[in-house]
Amino acid sequence: MKLKTYILTRILLSIPMILIILTIVFFVLRVLPGNPVLAMLGPKAPPEVIHAMEHQMGLDKPIIIQYFVYLSHIAVGNFGISTYTSLPVLQELLQKFPATFELTLYAMIVAVFIGIFMGTYAAYNFGKPVDIFARVYSIFVYSFPVFWFGIMLQLIFGVWLHWLPVSGRSAPFMIPDHIYTGIYTIDSLLNGEFEVFIDTVRHLILPSVTLGIVISSIFVRMVRSNVLLSLSSQYVTAARARGATEKKVLFKHALKNAMPPILTIMGLQFALLLAGAILTETTFSWPGIGNYLITRISYRDFPAIQGAIVFFAFFVSIISILVDIINAWIDPRIRY
Amino acid sequence: MISEKLGKNIKQLIGDSSGVMFLIGLFLLVIFIIMAVFAPYIAPYSPIKPTGAQLLPPQVGHIMGTDNLGYDVFSRVIYGSRMAFSIAFIATIIAAAIGIPTGLIVGYVGGKLDSVVTMIMDSIYTFPGLILAIAIAAMLGQGLINISLSIAVVYIPTYYRVIRSQVATIKSELYVEGAKAIGAKPKTILSKYILPNVLPSTIVVLSMNIADAIMTEAGLSFLGLGIAPPTPDWGYDLSKGQQFILQNDWWLVVFPGLAIILIVLGFSMFSEGLNEYLNPNIGEKR
Repeated sequence: MKLKTYILTRILLSIPMILIILTIVFFVLRVLPGNPVLAMLGPKAPPEVIHAMEHQMGLDKPIIIQYFVYLSHIAVGNFGISTYTSLPVLQELLQKFPATFELTLYAMIVAVFIGIFMGTYAAYNFGKPVDIFARVYSIFVYSFPVFWFGIMLQLIFGVWLHWLPVSGRSAPFMIPDHIYTGIYTIDSLLNGEFEVFIDTVRHLILPSVTLGIVISSIFVRMVRSNVLLSLSSQYVTAARARGATEKKVLFKHALKNAMPPILTIMGLQFALLLAGAILTETTFSWPGIGNYLITRISYRDFPAIQGAIVFFAFFVSIISILVDIINAWIDPRIRY
Repeated sequence: MISEKLGKNIKQLIGDSSGVMFLIGLFLLVIFIIMAVFAPYIAPYSPIKPTGAQLLPPQVGHIMGTDNLGYDVFSRVIYGSRMAFSIAFIATIIAAAIGIPTGLIVGYVGGKLDSVVTMIMDSIYTFPGLILAIAIAAMLGQGLINISLSIAVVYIPTYYRVIRSQVATIKSELYVEGAKAIGAKPKTILSKYILPNVLPSTIVVLSMNIADAIMTEAGLSFLGLGIAPPTPDWGYDLSKGQQFILQNDWWLVVFPGLAIILIVLGFSMFSEGLNEYLNPNIGEKR
């Protein structure tokens, strides 16, 4: 199968998946007990007001019609109007998205960096102290609730050492002048605003390190076991027999061949990364979609809650498609 | 069956690293179970009554200090184990009670039903569990059963997948074919021939799941979607304690967090050891 055909099939296959998730979200938010209108207006609201609100939100129609209206709205990018700000939900989400993206991006870099180095060295030194350290590290860090770890880092580096800010995405008036991508580390550099860049990085360190370290526990395990596997293979023995240096054997032969499964697993962890991002954003008052979702839950802003969850569903699907495509591109055997 | 197997080989168990891990995990779990069961005897104070001055640092009489309402942090940590266990157990049991039978039936029937249900389960499985739990919890509201339900939904596919894939292989084994040939009903085949063979593998999944469920519960209550205060709950106490870290009241966050870590660590080490013991060939599963 050609790569192009594979990509097309993969995208088509993800459509039913997205539909299922959209249906589940609809079911959860509309059919479960807990009337959104009652929740918004409070139990003491007069019935006429409740009926008017239900009519306005289309909740008085049969559930099956509501379902198709919901799907058709999402298909054209209509995520509804926030009942809290009266702004289109999609507009709000797109405005919050770069913050979440920036956080998850740098967290992923931290996790991949730790995962690859610690995992590879642990595998190379199998059974030695480095390896034992890596195993204990991954078991321990896996049990860290991401928010607790974040609070600990806030306590140590913010409160005790005063090195780094403990919350927010930037200091007041330290936002890039022109927003191109919404990713502050990039925008500030494009604008040549180095002070803003430094401030952005200082705010970014704690949240991204928090999330990155917690996720890295899984990466260390995966890299370690995959490199272990490839270290015992014949091509590694062959490379050693040819007189390749140990460094070359480790990074060029063992690690490189272990990469495809590692990439797949890293892609699979993306869902975990997003879930972690919600908790991290809440811990660090990071103004992303996770924080938006949690804030709007407390305001009972149902269109916003639904929009944020649907947005996450699309984000996860797109990333999993991308991971599969990258994998197929690296490893031609992965085409079905 | 498992206890018998373990009893025979305790010596061998201590011999290798997975055995040590298993025993440390077991030790931690026993401590937490004792904490939960005997909470009223261990905790020096009521967890929901002011017992001293507000925000006292750890000291004699309040070994983990007091919070902003004067509640004893140590007592709240002890009682918090009850909430963690109850929610995790209820959630895991609900998830298993739905996931296992669905996996059994769908795996056995196969065909179109299989592809449809598997696709639904896979969609839930790939979606970030916490986000789904948040959505459900936001709709259902606070409360023990509601939170357990929200968490349970996330883990149904885990059981479904494990069971279905095994049933799909086992159903073509000779002894199942044989049972069919002598006219056994599908119900009998499933309960007498297939279920006993697939259940052992779920024990490990079950115990790993409890660890995850405790973590998810802590996350939900940290986000304010858990149990209504003032019921002692580690996640909720952490989020409340975070408000006071700028004034350096570290004891409010350190101790509930350590409790979560140790209980999750206990369950994961326990299940990892159990896994290597029961399924030595499967290796790294996560």
